[in-house]
Amino acid sequence: MVSYIGKRLLAILPIVLFAILITFVLIHVSPVDPAEAYLTAAHIHPTEELLAEKRHEFGLDQPLLVQYWRTVVKMAQLDFGQSYMTNEPVWEDVVSKMPATVQLAVSSILFAMLVSIPLGFLSAIYKNSLIDYFSRGLSYFGASIPQFWLGYLLMFFFAVKLDLLPVEGKGSWEHLVLPTLTLSLALIAIYTRLLRASVLEQLQESYVLYAKTRGIKQRIIMVKHVLKIAFSPVITGLGMNFGKLLTGTIIVEQVFSWPGFGRYFVDAIFNRDIPVIQCYVFLAACLFIICNLIVDLVQLYMDPRISLKGRTDQ
Amino acid sequence: MIRTTKKTLLSIAATIFLVSTVLMACTKQEAAPSASNGSAENTAVVSEKAITLSWPRDIGTMNPHTYNPSQLFAQSMIYEPLVSYKAGGKLEPMLAESWTISEDGKEYTFKLRQNVKFSDGTVFNAAIVKKNFDAVMKNPSLHSWLGVINVLDKTEVVDEYTFKMTLKQAYYPAIQDLSLVRPVRFLGEAGFPDDGDTSKGIKEPVGTGPWLLAEYKKDEYAIFTRNPNYWGESPKIDKITVKIIPDAETRVLAFEKGELDLIYGEGVISMDAFNQLKESGKYTTQLSEPVGTRSLLLNTTNDKLSDLRVRLALQSGFNKQAMVEGITLGLEEKADTILSKNFPYTDIDVQPVEYNTEKAAAYLDEAGWKLPSGKAVREKDGQALELELIFDKTDPIQKAMAETMQAEWSAIGVKLNITGLELTTQIQRRKAGEFDIDFWYNYGAPYDPHSFINVVAEKGWGVAEANSGLPMKQELDQQIHEALASTDETKRQQLYSSILQTLQEQSAIVPISYIKKTVVFQNKVTDFAFPANRDENPFEGINISQ
Repeated sequence: MVSYIGKRLLAILPIVLFAILITFVLIHVSPVDPAEAYLTAAHIHPTEELLAEKRHEFGLDQPLLVQYWRTVVKMAQLDFGQSYMTNEPVWEDVVSKMPATVQLAVSSILFAMLVSIPLGFLSAIYKNSLIDYFSRGLSYFGASIPQFWLGYLLMFFFAVKLDLLPVEGKGSWEHLVLPTLTLSLALIAIYTRLLRASVLEQLQESYVLYAKTRGIKQRIIMVKHVLKIAFSPVITGLGMNFGKLLTGTIIVEQVFSWPGFGRYFVDAIFNRDIPVIQCYVFLAACLFIICNLIVDLVQLYMDPRISLKGRTDQ
Repeated sequence: MIRTTKKTLLSIAATIFLVSTVLMACTKQEAAPSASNGSAENTAVVSEKAITLSWPRDIGTMNPHTYNPSQLFAQSMIYEPLVSYKAGGKLEPMLAESWTISEDGKEYTFKLRQNVKFSDGTVFNAAIVKKNFDAVMKNPSLHSWLGVINVLDKTEVVDEYTFKMTLKQAYYPAIQDLSLVRPVRFLGEAGFPDDGDTSKGIKEPVGTGPWLLAEYKKDEYAIFTRNPNYWGESPKIDKITVKIIPDAETRVLAFEKGELDLIYGEGVISMDAFNQLKESGKYTTQLSEPVGTRSLLLNTTNDKLSDLRVRLALQSGFNKQAMVEGITLGLEEKADTILSKNFPYTDIDVQPVEYNTEKAAAYLDEAGWKLPSGKAVREKDGQALELELIFDKTDPIQKAMAETMQAEWSAIGVKLNITGLELTTQIQRRKAGEFDIDFWYNYGAPYDPHSFINVVAEKGWGVAEANSGLPMKQELDQQIHEALASTDETKRQQLYSSILQTLQEQSAIVPISYIKKTVVFQNKVTDFAFPANRDENPFEGINISQ
């Protein structure tokens, strides 16, 4: 187990190096000059002397290979440089904004689980019933509605019209409700359908029939056996989405003024804040790999049929 | 089997416990401040007058001597200038009670106010003024865009309340430059870092202004309260809360709900939303005087655009009024002159170029650009009249205007190619002169008109470069240098009139519309007035009816 985790962690290295390389190349291919972008973002008139000074400071006058090597070495030490916008070290900014994003991501996942597990399970058992139609409708709605629009709609009805919740900001639990609902609806749409399909598939399996013939109660078969196995694809989805949520709550954070790092990255993109963009790509790569690893380990634990050897060989 | 289930249950329970603890810990923070009309805190202190407004980004480090990320309006609440810029460009005493300028225009002597204290109670005097100037002058390259910094020779403390500034050469807008929100405003002793170099950061924002920063949570809110040591008339309200709301539509919803009392700024809400709030009749909406002009910069070094008749044809070939109404929904005003008349020295009689497509066609015919039969684009010596307009692709107004001009000019036989660029690329190409037509904005009060004529004469901004094809460019530059160094008011006005007249006639800078600030506030807010200085805060005299 330990060697498996070690191997998986080692595999992070080439992927991250590749991600850094891609960002590095894209930044150098883009017509935007980082020195110019810095001065524009800082509202300083870019005179030739200042530009030359900044280019030197950023090491842009060095050969490309040297620049790439420096970027890699610095990133390995979690030194992403200073943000052009805030003039603060990027890593410090990210660390200070991370808890808000994690809070939102965790609450969304939890809420999505709370709704989609019973809904997906029940709509499989009572196939083509009212609850199945309802879950289908909800899934279509959740999968197709743009998140920013859903955010505005919820805000309009629950905060402005009904005056039940605050429009934006962070602080009390009330502030968490609307962003959580907005983020989790898309997840509910996916997990409900995923779980429903998976449960239906399991119901066709022979072990269900044998369990029935052994006189085991329907409720026990469903909860202890079917649900447990059917849950596996949902866990895969969960891992993928957790990484996505940590890096992708961008729109929702912007709409609800949630001070997480999604908003920080939106600003960075608009202002060509290159150190922040680099940090984002790096983080996204790492988070996705780690989340995937965790998912694999959890599945391993839940379903012993998946062998370590098989995994590593793949 | 039973063991596994137990283990699973246990681990699920542990996870739920852990997650809920984390969540509880995260949510147990103090709630963000809400608007003045709902919180329990406010019912406790009935008499407290408070205003909540939104701002798109965090107010920043509140360092008076540096730029981003500090927000100008917030800096201006804490820090004050020696001289204040008021309506019509009138300069009024602020921290300096009076000032004298030597006859050669090089020596400025300021008599400082004697009853001024910083918010921490320390005294404001000539020594601290000098210390601030010294801190700014430690990084002259950072401030090289500002005229007064480039000509500043030395500063000295004459006596406790007299401060002298000597320039290398006469430069009349020195006083205007000192009225800016940054970089020459005054930080108290306690705010200085040990080495005195404020460009790397300050210890705390200590100023002489009417407000002090009482509470601040980065990216969430900032609360300003009255400075108890303020030397002037104390603000009528007790507290101003600035909520950081990056999204324009969210700002509007928060305002409609009553979480905000005021939304103020340039482009802070969409034009649709502004008009919708206005039409609802439930709130007060106002537009400011023009704060700047949205113009087109025609590159006269281009062969086609070096002909005055082509430039005039382009200007008379599009309908500014329709564009202002259709694209800016009336929030901007049609511009006839390059600078609006509410700036100093700009209220002069010049002939506007009116929309007239027949006249435009006649200009082009006269210039030799004829429309061959069966073709849509005019030609001269086998060359088509084809031009490129570059614009910032993230700016919806520029994009819509570019598309409109493309359609309008095609009707007079001009083919316009429009190219959306990254902002930095647009600036780069402007500076390198690699464009035919570009959007351009002047700076507004208190920078103009002197900053405007300065960029017409001085290279490095792209405007002088674009105008360098004008036949009278040298003469124009001469007049500009004279105007900036002039010490005689009448002569200066004459020079400005001549410069602006020439630029208007030459049509190389084509004014489209005047940009205005917008404000929307709840009806309980009273005595709101737009500041004359584009960057200042609008809270002077503001009040609320209880």
